[in-house]
Amino acid sequence: MTAMKVDAKVVMLGKESVGKTSLVERYVHHRFLVGPYQNTIGAAFVAKSITIGDKVVTLGIWDTAGSERYEAMSRIYYRGARAAIVCYDLTDSSSFQRARFWVKELQNCEEHCKIYLCGTKNDLIEEDRSLRQVDYHDVQDFADEIGAQHFETSSKTGNNVDGLFQKVAEDYSNSAFELMPEEKGVDLGQKKDSYFYACCHH
Amino acid sequence: MAADVHNKSAPWEVQNGSLVPVERLRFDRSDSPTPGLVEGTEPGAGQERAMFVHAQSFEDLTAESEAQAEEKSEKDLVLEEPREEAKEDEGEEGRDEDAVKEEEESQRGVRAKEEDITSEAWRDHRKHVFVLSEAGKPIYSRYGTEEALSSTMGVMMALVSFVEAERNIIRSIHADGYRVVFLHKSPLVLVGVSKTAQSDRELTRELQYVYYQIVSLLTLTQLNHVFQHKQNYDLRRLLAGSEHLTDNLLRLLDRDPGLLLSAVMCLPLSSSARDVVSSSLQAAKAKSLVFSILIAGNRLVTLVRKKDQFLHHMDLHLLFNLVNSSSSFREGEGWTPVCLPKFNTAGFFHAHISYVEPASDLCLILVSTDREDFFNLSDCKRRFLERLRKRSAYQVLQEALRAPTYSVSQVGIPELRHFVYKSKSSGLYTSPELPVPYQSVEEQERLMGLYQSLHSCLHHPTRPLRSIYRCGEMENLFAWVTSGFELYLCFSPLGTKALAVSAVNKLLKWIRKEEDRLFILNPQTY
Ligand SMILES: Nc1nc2c(ncn2[C@@H]2O[C@H](COP(=O)(O)OP(=O)(O)OP(=O)(O)O)[C@@H](O)[C@H]2O)c(=O)[nH]1
Ligand SMILES: [Mg+2]
Repeated sequence: MTAMKVDAKVVMLGKESVGKTSLVERYVHHRFLVGPYQNTIGAAFVAKSITIGDKVVTLGIWDTAGSERYEAMSRIYYRGARAAIVCYDLTDSSSFQRARFWVKELQNCEEHCKIYLCGTKNDLIEEDRSLRQVDYHDVQDFADEIGAQHFETSSKTGNNVDGLFQKVAEDYSNSAFELMPEEKGVDLGQKKDSYFYACCHH
Repeated sequence: MAADVHNKSAPWEVQNGSLVPVERLRFDRSDSPTPGLVEGTEPGAGQERAMFVHAQSFEDLTAESEAQAEEKSEKDLVLEEPREEAKEDEGEEGRDEDAVKEEEESQRGVRAKEEDITSEAWRDHRKHVFVLSEAGKPIYSRYGTEEALSSTMGVMMALVSFVEAERNIIRSIHADGYRVVFLHKSPLVLVGVSKTAQSDRELTRELQYVYYQIVSLLTLTQLNHVFQHKQNYDLRRLLAGSEHLTDNLLRLLDRDPGLLLSAVMCLPLSSSARDVVSSSLQAAKAKSLVFSILIAGNRLVTLVRKKDQFLHHMDLHLLFNLVNSSSSFREGEGWTPVCLPKFNTAGFFHAHISYVEPASDLCLILVSTDREDFFNLSDCKRRFLERLRKRSAYQVLQEALRAPTYSVSQVGIPELRHFVYKSKSSGLYTSPELPVPYQSVEEQERLMGLYQSLHSCLHHPTRPLRSIYRCGEMENLFAWVTSGFELYLCFSPLGTKALAVSAVNKLLKWIRKEEDRLFILNPQTY
């Protein structure tokens, strides 16, 4: 047993309850948990290996909590990420506003991070088209403008979920040699004397 | 650094240093405990210094509001037998001058809003808890939505500020079988409305817990900061998704003796296995680690701490609550900021929280000072598990998990139904599983209520008692506190006082015999 080597850091971002955890659950464990919604606390990390051609790529996925409470420390979760899956709920237009916020944040702080816009809960739309609050073409235009990929998924049915992560891994694999090496994750030398760090929000 | 944090708020630490015998060896312990045991030699006392901040059962939590309204003298005397119901009369005299009561008004204030909230059922709850900002904005309500209650909370705030304008403090209002207890901890105001038999002091203690629960999510620094910038900030924005933590904490306060006694219960485990677990945790250290805590549900398996750093039980209970109220940590390795308010209200630690196996009850909490240290801690966990498996302690641990509790019948005292024993110097307690008559939630809470009331007599601020014997219709109760331990026993109503007294000796002997398994005698540090 040795520590798993992570090739690419992937971060899940988006408003609370848009379905980030469900996406990761579907992709990693091939399941969809029903029952009361359990908001993520802080963030959860999970590593998953995927074969691209003849190479194995290990994605280190950070599933962050959408609650504003953790916004101040979101940087530690997305810093050095090679890919960000920015989620919004297709049935909730306010969640798309929040997605725009994350895109801006990433553009400002993580220029090497590729952005994947992901509209979630597609199954609800299939069932009842009137529930859609975020237009497909509007998002496509936005994606083109910022150079992002665009997906619509359902964690309930599994629709497009593997496709999304497959694309993330492929893009990483194709660009692996062009970019700087992956950030190490730990930096023991730093912050020795700061036992706590400040926590101001605004 | 942090040692100062404790010295400020915990004058008892110094005292502890001289009380706890150093380097005692196991065979030095007396075989049969004698009454009036010295702290540090009671059954369950650790070999070296305790793992926790040394806290008297009550004082530490309520210290800040100790200028508490005094209860009217109670009937219980040492080893007397007052009837269960012989509680204090609702006497108004004898309260502190600054404890204002405005009977009629409070009742109206609460009642008038009730149509808004689903009426009867809402009113019937035994204990309501409300949290509001100083601007009167709702932050939390145990039952009903905060929106629906916003005018009720406005009234509460009006009451608080009305009284404070006169430089007084409102502590409680008693009327019509209800107690309304106020706790103003800037920038928050907490209000408890209860029709239980609990004293103001106890209700206040519970409100303190809720206050610290909120601080543990945000830090006090952030709380103050937010309200300094915007007085009528809606704190629910920052607390979104955390309501169930507070809900669960309030349930624990009604049911878990650990929160009452400021003590923690251990998973019964042979001391050799526990020592292996502890030393494996100790070996899997990292520079930034302050506490490594292994828990199984609401029981502690072991705790390893940085030298000179002590955890407060309240902080540990908040960690228990965080882990046990959410399935979030089952999804992967959790990495979350957490403030341990009794350690320091100003800053966050970062906690690596993960279950040992997907379906296991064993959860490892690694508390670190460095928010960048996730992968390092993840590696600590891996190393810990590796060691554990190599030394085959894992299997023993798995087995222990299958029997996380024991039956009171093992003690061999026929009339004894249940007990709670706390070793003061270790801050740990032990208690058997609830017997049949107390298994429903109502009965469990009733029994806890009885223990609470005994606890409150033993720790009465001006007239503390050493022991109490009480006869009731459903059970007889005996409580005893010495400098070394605190003990609560529940007997069948057929028992006698003489029997209770002899049972205590037998029980203490039994606990002494089992202490290796029931307590952590060898706490480790890194
Ligand atoms: N119908 C449907 N419901 C979904 C889907 N994905 C998530 N949900 C539901 O949406 C709710 C929130 O899902 P989570 O995955 O926990 O949301 P989250 O983004 O992780 O939320 P935070 O952790 O609070 O940030 C849950 O009740 C899920 O069951 C989906 O694809 N279809
Ligand atoms: Mg989530």
